[in-house]
Amino acid sequence: MKSLKRFGRLILELLRELSDENAYRRHLAAHGRAHSRAEWQKFSDARLQARYIRPKCC
Amino acid sequence: MKKILGHLLWAAISLLAAFFLAGIAFDRGEPINSLWLVLAAACTYLLGFRFYAKFIAAKVMALDNDRATPAERLRNGHDFEPTNKWILFGHHFAAIAGPGPLVGPVLAAQFGYLPGTLWIIIGAVLGGAVQDFIILFCSMRRDGKSLGQMAREEIGKVGGFTALLTVLLIMIILLAAIALVVVNALKGSPWGTFTIAATMPIAIFMGLYLRYWRPGKVLEVSLIGFVLVVLAILGGQAVSHSSTLKPVFTLSPVALAFAVIIYGFFASALPVWLLLAPRDYLSTFVKLGVVFMLAVGILFVRPELQLPAFTRFVDGSGPIIAGKIFPFCFITIACGAISGFHSLISSGTTPKMIAKERHAWPVGYGSMLLESFVAIMAMIAACTLQPGVYFAVNSPAKVVGSAPEEVVAKITSWGFPVTTADMAELARDVEEETLFDRAGGAPSLALGMAHIFARSGGGRAILGFWYHFAIMFEALFILTIIDAGTRVGRFMLQDFLGHIWKPLGRTSWMPSVIVTSAAIVCAWGYFLYQGVRDPRGGINSLWPLFGISNQLLAAVALCVATTILVKMHRARYMWITCIPLAWLVTVTFTAGYQKILSPIPSVGFLARAAQFQAELASQSVPLNKIAEHQASIFNDRLDAIVCGIFLVLVTTILVDSIRVWVGILRGTRDAKVREAPFVLSRLKPEEI
Repeated sequence: MKSLKRFGRLILELLRELSDENAYRRHLAAHGRAHSRAEWQKFSDARLQARYIRPKCC
Repeated sequence: MKKILGHLLWAAISLLAAFFLAGIAFDRGEPINSLWLVLAAACTYLLGFRFYAKFIAAKVMALDNDRATPAERLRNGHDFEPTNKWILFGHHFAAIAGPGPLVGPVLAAQFGYLPGTLWIIIGAVLGGAVQDFIILFCSMRRDGKSLGQMAREEIGKVGGFTALLTVLLIMIILLAAIALVVVNALKGSPWGTFTIAATMPIAIFMGLYLRYWRPGKVLEVSLIGFVLVVLAILGGQAVSHSSTLKPVFTLSPVALAFAVIIYGFFASALPVWLLLAPRDYLSTFVKLGVVFMLAVGILFVRPELQLPAFTRFVDGSGPIIAGKIFPFCFITIACGAISGFHSLISSGTTPKMIAKERHAWPVGYGSMLLESFVAIMAMIAACTLQPGVYFAVNSPAKVVGSAPEEVVAKITSWGFPVTTADMAELARDVEEETLFDRAGGAPSLALGMAHIFARSGGGRAILGFWYHFAIMFEALFILTIIDAGTRVGRFMLQDFLGHIWKPLGRTSWMPSVIVTSAAIVCAWGYFLYQGVRDPRGGINSLWPLFGISNQLLAAVALCVATTILVKMHRARYMWITCIPLAWLVTVTFTAGYQKILSPIPSVGFLARAAQFQAELASQSVPLNKIAEHQASIFNDRLDAIVCGIFLVLVTTILVDSIRVWVGILRGTRDAKVREAPFVLSRLKPEEI
């Protein structure tokens, strides 16, 4: 049961990583800022710009 | 005692791997169960991971957990961030998994299940996973530098520039090939077309939701997006029954090609948060979910393989991909065994997130094994179809005829019995007008997947839903690659044009955005259009071209990897990269040579152009077909030139690399390693 819970947590963390939610949390912590629409937009713009200069795999 | 038990366990796994591989290799006559393939692959992967990859990690790379990785040294909370190895494993796998390992094996199944399966397993263990692992290691030791940067620094300016040009050209062919897969899957299918069209407003809704209404709630909006996509699939069924809407969404291949081209242009020019990013989030989750579902479905249903181990088409007369088993089976499989594109990911985001050096082993090597397993599942899905059905779906009309009776007679005469009644019933089950002439691999994969899902629960009654769900899944992430690829091509072009006239290099200057987006879209759009108009279905020309180019990129990556190994004074281990490199060069150059110069018109571009030319000269071509013939001649010659350019580019890098290796081994050239200096890691286990 315990390992199943751990596995579930790992999957949730993976989904958060893939969805950039973890990266956003790190961004807020690193800059000591609170969540806001403007902050998300700033973070998202920078992150997506960096991501989509690289090709996606086939 | 524990050690002895460990040895016994690995001895047992080795014996099982040999047993299952021998089982699939020597079994003839009766259909075999798909579990044989699953177990042969799983046991071989375990051995490769435990022994070969460990050997590379310890002896060749000397991975050192005490050495701080770029994620630790350059930590910035954005790109550089130490990440849990299993999360990074999933992240890397999600980035490398594309349509290649799904479509390639389906097309290669025309040779039978055995050659493709063996190449997927052996190619991944000895080639693909090694390439991904070593490039990840090299990039990690160089602060996350890209393949192009490493090529320039380690091989030289010529190598670096050639690598960049190769990537751009490969991307153009890749985008055209995968766009053709979507077009062939959606032609004459109102249900499929509606579903895919609906994903665009859904993605825009998700983009707006995330931007303005619930900023940062990506998982939440992805879940909403997924529910909406499922509703769109159900809506597609209603559309296919509606006398008003059905004609609107029943599009010809040419109309669909233009729709994809226009879409590609807008997706490249629009703000990325509006369409591209939300679609990408959704497609990533759907992709991982469907791969997991397929694995569970195969284990639950354990279907029998209907296609034989070898078909008669190993002789080169195949209706789907013309050409002999060597080299075309290996070219067709593409990313399931080894993919050059993975080296771009392994030298992209992933090296910046590795917390400890030894994590590169599961992340780099392990992720590729999982991708290879996806290819095995695709092979199983295709081979569970009745062989006659498989060939009827995948064979273009030019090869087997256009009348259903003619098609089934031809395919039955090949030894794969199928009737018009079988095909009509199947089309009825999945609510399509027809399943004949659906070259491209996606529809037959969707059929195989739908059968597996339906047998897991729901039966034939929901076959149509699962078929269109599978089509949606394939098209969704193919379109994401088209969006992102066009955008990347645009940036590359802007970067290049910026050297000629500065404003053209500004990525936010609208006229430049429009011109360069249009140029890239026109480049791949031209090949797509040519593929759509190709009498042999296009996939016969474009997929091998894509396979050749992708594996040539892998050859470039292996050249860089070998150069770095030589510079690290690990020349005695050069064979690790040189064996797959030699194999790739042999396969791709043979395929390239045959695609250009084979005297057989179905294989050689120039031979086909000559055949069309001869037909024109003999004045046997009807007047209304003359322009089409002239276009075909031009296209075949263009394909031959593109193929030739790929070979020249890779020869340049290969010769340049060999020059460097020989120089270093002779002691006439500097063997300076350009690694970041050693810094002691202070990362605590609880931080990862």
